[in-house]
Amino acid sequence: MAISKEAFGKQVLALVGPLHGVARRLTGNDTDAEELVAETVARAWKALGSLESDAAFRAWIFRILHNTFIDERRRADARPQCESMDSEDPDETDAAFSIFEQMHQPFLLWFSNPEQEFLDRLLREDLERALATLPEHHRVVVILADLEEFNYREIADTLGVPVGTVRSRLARARGALQKLLWEQARAYGLRGEAATGAAEGRVAGVPCAKSGKEA
Amino acid sequence: MTKHEIDCEKALQQIFQFIDHELGGDEREAMQRHLHTCKSCFSRAEFERRLKGKVGELRQEQDAPEVVRSRVSRLLKTF
Repeated sequence: MAISKEAFGKQVLALVGPLHGVARRLTGNDTDAEELVAETVARAWKALGSLESDAAFRAWIFRILHNTFIDERRRADARPQCESMDSEDPDETDAAFSIFEQMHQPFLLWFSNPEQEFLDRLLREDLERALATLPEHHRVVVILADLEEFNYREIADTLGVPVGTVRSRLARARGALQKLLWEQARAYGLRGEAATGAAEGRVAGVPCAKSGKEA
Repeated sequence: MTKHEIDCEKALQQIFQFIDHELGGDEREAMQRHLHTCKSCFSRAEFERRLKGKVGELRQEQDAPEVVRSRVSRLLKTF
């Protein structure tokens, strides 16, 4: 599909903030983020023929950003076995990790809610640190899904993977993120009495308690 | 159990798709019915929704730094 130079410029300028935001989180610094955005725009202009429709512009240019990032990193990294953006997390325990499962106390009912207290205490810097620590293939899906609010189809198009892969990778990424948050909380002593009690008081395999609560 | 009812195991499998608004009509309705009657899964969904919201708050309503915007503007003029 061909769009005019003017239309291309407008679309790019409308997205330069989000592009830079994602680039900043991928590269971890402003200098590399600036380079990544500039290279992305240059590549996008050259690849304009591959744009299928106006509606696909956002996922299309983010895909170019993502591919450019991978290319640049591979070029900079002499190690042949560097982490692949396409690789899956070998540690499946991260995928299943859930702060809720660690903290939820099904029989405390209304007078205590440790998992919600955990969220109340969670600081922006805790989340920033955990997100920055995630492996790149996990970090990027969380950024696209939760920060940029892409739907699964757009994430799939951006990363060049099937929607099913997005679904499973996002679940693993969120598990890994929660595990990092949990470990940070424990390291900083923020787990608190409630969490300790939750761990001690847990009843494995307790089925759902019935509630009339409206969803 | 009718074909449109789900148990906790299925609900937990679909919890992220639910909070991401990625479940289709029947699946979404089945999940909503389950959450109406299951306190544990309801609480889990609320927790995941709140955490997703907190992660989303990291997105600053940012424009790119002026140096980046200027560079991109200059670049566009060269095309």
